[in-house]
Amino acid sequence: MTELSDDTRQLRPGLWETINERYPGSMITKSDFIPLARLRKPLSQTRLTFVSSAGIQPKGTMPFDVVHPVGDFSFRRVPSASTISELEIHQIKYPTTGALKDLNVIFPIERLQELTKEGVIGELTPNLFSFIGYQMDPPTFERTLAEDIANAVVAEGAEAALLCPA
Amino acid sequence: MSLQYLKTAVAENDSEKLIRYVRLHLGDGNEAAGRKEIDKAWIEALKLMLDVPATDREFIFATLNNQTPATLAHLYFYLHFYFVKRSGAWIHDGTL
Repeated sequence: MTELSDDTRQLRPGLWETINERYPGSMITKSDFIPLARLRKPLSQTRLTFVSSAGIQPKGTMPFDVVHPVGDFSFRRVPSASTISELEIHQIKYPTTGALKDLNVIFPIERLQELTKEGVIGELTPNLFSFIGYQMDPPTFERTLAEDIANAVVAEGAEAALLCPA
Repeated sequence: MSLQYLKTAVAENDSEKLIRYVRLHLGDGNEAAGRKEIDKAWIEALKLMLDVPATDREFIFATLNNQTPATLAHLYFYLHFYFVKRSGAWIHDGTL
């Protein structure tokens, strides 16, 4: 896993206030802080996975439930060898104009494939993982989706995970 | 808003909180936009009815009678976004 920065400052000042104003009650506080694990070997020898809340999925799979008022607690496996043309995005909570032109802007699968081919990354797990970030039930999210993805990541033998909120 | 926040609002019959949530949800975090989005969906549905086209009322009654209220509620959300998207003024800029 990646090295943890001690810098916990907000990247966007006022972000939490904005979220609380728009979605009061949505912020959660966790008292049990679990530090990220340190990477134990070079990235070039590491099996990496990618977990994204972008709502990317293989074409032909059940679209994410983007209209549900509480959220969608399912995830999709995205084969790491996929081409962009085999994927699609289901998301209505943020602009996808850029993603519709090139999914790499939100789900950089081709960049990961290139870095693997160049030897910067040891290898990718057979599947990468995607879900939608609109989740109004954090406890259920943590108990189900997060656990399900964690188990799937472990099952694929991932040694490091790149986490990318959309 | 968290689910617990909404459940508390339901338990307390706090309609204002619930209405605010619905507008925020449908308006991408903008309450005023959400109000317009709700109106937009209804206007689009209304426009489709003005010529009194033939519709499948058997399907409608079968759906209302045979599906669970939860499924119908889910469908209601889908229909909202369907009509908003059909209106051509799709503020969500994304894919259903």
